[in-house]
Amino acid sequence: MKKRLPTIFLMILFAILMLNGYGVQRFPKPEFESGYLQPETLQPTSRAEILGMLDVIVLAVSMAVVTWLVLKKRSRTGVFWASLFSLAYFGFYRQGCICSIGAIQNITLAIFDSSYGLPLTAIAFFILPLIATLFFGRTFCAGVCPFGAIQDLVSFKPQKLGTRLNTVLGLIPYIYLGLAILYAATKSDFIICRYDPFVGIFRFNASFGMFIFAGTLLVSGIFIARPYCRFLCPYGVLLNWISRFSWKHMTITPTTCIQCRLCEDSCPYDAIDMPVTDKNPESRSTTIRKLILICFLVPFLTVLGGWTISRMHETLAGVNGKVSLARTLLQPEKPTDQPEQVEVTAFKSSGIPAARVYAEASVVLKHFYIGSWVLGCFLGLAFGLTLAFRMVTTYQPDYTPNKGTCYSCARCVDYCPVGGNELTPDKT
Amino acid sequence: MTRSIFPYDSGNTQKIVSLLRYIAIASAISAMILCLLIAVNFIQVRRADPLNTQVMKVMIERMHANPADQQLRQEIREIDLLSRKAFFTTQWQIRTGGYLLFFSLLISVICIKSIELLGKSTPGVPAALKADFWITRKTGRKWVVYTGISVVIFSFVLVILTHQELGTSLDMAIKDPGNKEMSEYGNTRIREYKNTGIKEQGNADTVQQQDTVKIAAATNMDGYPSMQEITGNFPSFRGPGGNGIAFQKNIPSSWDGKSGKNIKWKTAIPLPGYNSPIIWNDRVFITGASETKREVYCIDLNTGKILWQKDVGKIPGSPSQEPKTIRETGFCAPTMTTDGRRVYAIFANGDLIALDFDGNQVWTKNLGMPQNHYGHSSSLIMYRDLLIIQYDQRGSGSVMALYGKTGEKAWQASRSVKISWASPVIVNTGKRTELILAADPIIASYNPADGKDLWQMNCISGEVGPSVAYADGVVFAVNDFSKLSAIAIGDPPKLLWEDSDYLSDIPSPLATGKFLFLVTSYGTVVCYDAKNGTKYWEQEFETPTYASPILAEGRVYLLDKKGIMHIFPADQVYKATGQPALGEGSSCTPAFADGKIILRGDKNLYCIGK
Ligand code: SF4
Repeated sequence: MKKRLPTIFLMILFAILMLNGYGVQRFPKPEFESGYLQPETLQPTSRAEILGMLDVIVLAVSMAVVTWLVLKKRSRTGVFWASLFSLAYFGFYRQGCICSIGAIQNITLAIFDSSYGLPLTAIAFFILPLIATLFFGRTFCAGVCPFGAIQDLVSFKPQKLGTRLNTVLGLIPYIYLGLAILYAATKSDFIICRYDPFVGIFRFNASFGMFIFAGTLLVSGIFIARPYCRFLCPYGVLLNWISRFSWKHMTITPTTCIQCRLCEDSCPYDAIDMPVTDKNPESRSTTIRKLILICFLVPFLTVLGGWTISRMHETLAGVNGKVSLARTLLQPEKPTDQPEQVEVTAFKSSGIPAARVYAEASVVLKHFYIGSWVLGCFLGLAFGLTLAFRMVTTYQPDYTPNKGTCYSCARCVDYCPVGGNELTPDKT
Repeated sequence: MTRSIFPYDSGNTQKIVSLLRYIAIASAISAMILCLLIAVNFIQVRRADPLNTQVMKVMIERMHANPADQQLRQEIREIDLLSRKAFFTTQWQIRTGGYLLFFSLLISVICIKSIELLGKSTPGVPAALKADFWITRKTGRKWVVYTGISVVIFSFVLVILTHQELGTSLDMAIKDPGNKEMSEYGNTRIREYKNTGIKEQGNADTVQQQDTVKIAAATNMDGYPSMQEITGNFPSFRGPGGNGIAFQKNIPSSWDGKSGKNIKWKTAIPLPGYNSPIIWNDRVFITGASETKREVYCIDLNTGKILWQKDVGKIPGSPSQEPKTIRETGFCAPTMTTDGRRVYAIFANGDLIALDFDGNQVWTKNLGMPQNHYGHSSSLIMYRDLLIIQYDQRGSGSVMALYGKTGEKAWQASRSVKISWASPVIVNTGKRTELILAADPIIASYNPADGKDLWQMNCISGEVGPSVAYADGVVFAVNDFSKLSAIAIGDPPKLLWEDSDYLSDIPSPLATGKFLFLVTSYGTVVCYDAKNGTKYWEQEFETPTYASPILAEGRVYLLDKKGIMHIFPADQVYKATGQPALGEGSSCTPAFADGKIILRGDKNLYCIGK
């Protein structure tokens, strides 16, 4: 009980911390009758380019250092301190912006809207971690991403989630990624930024809803290690895919696995694959049958997904400002005491013809129709491939980190007795 | 999972660990206290609405009742400042508390992490063997399938629940923009306007129309009266265009209510009201209302017989609570208007009704309870087939146009102004027709066809009651505690002159090409040179006056609260033409028909004429 006290305290405290965010309010400007003019609202100037470059340099150096700490030094403690630095710099100093996760939307928008000026820093933040992952696995997640770092910090009592939960929740990032790309491509919204749970904490200004969200993630993060990274992060999907092909991924054992089982439960993220020692675990005919099934199943699920999601393109398009305005304008006005929606008031005072709103909304709707087909196909494919990966297996005699899901946090290395390790893993 | 090698390998480490534990607990407790304080502050901030405290409300109401009370004004300012200070102090406390809380939590986390670092342990072999690899895989597959099925079902449920055929509706709206159900707000905007240069003739001070309109949205139209019809009648507050000029002939100038001299008829009005009569052909229209009852009356111009009276009753969307108004405003201060096809009336609770000339309801609407501490009083006016409503309420100023035939909204423009009691005025400047509105802080002009801003000038303040006057390219605006401004319409508009010796809070001014007549509510009339503001004369009648002056046949007709009509020529020198008495008090502006004046007394409606 004594040991749990801090955890309980923290849970309550984080929950109440949310109230602080709710307390941030706007206050109406006073009205002066003496002719006093309200000062103009000032917009902050954009960040100097040189500082943007500094961010990129810090990102590159941090990734190099963390990669070195993971692959060469095999030091969990080093990774922990590096992640604290990243949390301080990219989190609290840079206030979570720009981040690699949100950069997905900048890149998507730049692809679909030639008039959008894509910042170089956004490209760098998007590409560099992917390149690093292609070579060395997800060392970016281990100690550079501030979102991962803040969750790692509170991961005091990580529990195993089991296959079911891991499987079901693990599919959510695909949906989130697909939606984020759809909304960015249709110029509707940057949902990753809008629903970013941690930026509010980094900036001390979260809305009530976002504080609840962040608080829930952090409190649940005490028991479920890195819930955002595992079950929400859309960038994690890309890193997961690329990391599967990584050239030199970290290993638990520095040399040969002696099957001592000491590391079996060491990963808080359930990212260690058990050994498959049987070289031919299935008969040839079973394997062929499975392959044929996969060949049919994956395209079928892709088309099914596309068709299903395309049915909801109107619902999905509701997020788009033009479509939602057109929808409101099309509704017959009911007498109500409720104040008019600000969008409608703004439209009415703009002098823009309603016909133009309808025409623009109609074009957006068509984009959404195509986009939702693509989104559905992508989700069908993701589900199909997830199924397929669970049907086949390869010979693998050692305990190995799953290249896709392992964050290269180096916790497990301290559990391996091979190579004169001192066997004193810390829990950071 | 793991077992300790040496729980804490030396006495020193153990001491450090227990110290860290105490620090962690202490900072956690301090964080808890901070949390509580923040929560309390937070609730305070949520509950405090410094602009709407009870004390403030009462004081503001007192202020409205007694606007000249400077001490009260000062007190309000001080309380306002205090409550704002308190609000921001609480916000500062929350923010500072937030930072302290953050640092307390940080210390806790650091201590807990340090304890973990110091308390390294050696791993052990898990007791239970992991589930069989193939079973794990199978379970995984099963749950991927379940999730997939759930996603498909969820998608379909969502589609069913939110399905709206939006694409089809949009296509229809694009093909048929005039469809009234399709395009509540957009109809007018998709009209095509074609300037053919046709100009109807009328007096230079009146509304004239230049454009012919080709309307795509024919469903909302059944024509509108010609300029001749409009000027031949008295269709709105202060006559055609609401500009205080009557075009009728043979207007009587002497009568006596008591003896009945030249009183053609006198009819008792069932319910009270401060709206003024309007006239179309041989019918007079007025409204009357109490707190719970609202009625429209149609009276025969020739006999004074009430031809019909329509009980407005409960209309859909009408607020359940009664509006709060003051006695001087009542429940039906706005004057009706007509386009010769229907008559339109609005009441203090935002109820709007259109009736045909036989008293049958055509449509009704509620515009939402007016947020107005004296009571809504802005009168209605027509522009062609559009019913124009100035609805400047607390927090949401707007002007809108509804199709007279259907009540569908043609356009609406939001306005950043305070509450206004003035009425809209429509004028033709020779170049275009403008809708001119007065409200703190601006005199603003709109295109009455589509609601587009034409110009505005920041020159008026306070609780604006008088409407503007217009003549010969110049708009005159006035309000009490503000100033009288003469604005030459142009691009941009120019302030010609201003004066603040005499100001009005209720009666509207009256302008001719040469003169401006300003009437104060305490009964002083001032004549200015309209072009340069030179004061020609002042005449003190010394009776309170709420009605606005009307120009007819070159004479000004000004009815005071006692019911005495001050008649004088619109000229550079004051000369009384007559001061006939009605024999009954009145707050309403007269309406004119050929050979007749219709006056609304406090209780009766009078027709003056032979
Ligand atoms: S490095 Fe080891 S402990 Fe860390 S995520 Fe990868 S497998 Fe899990």
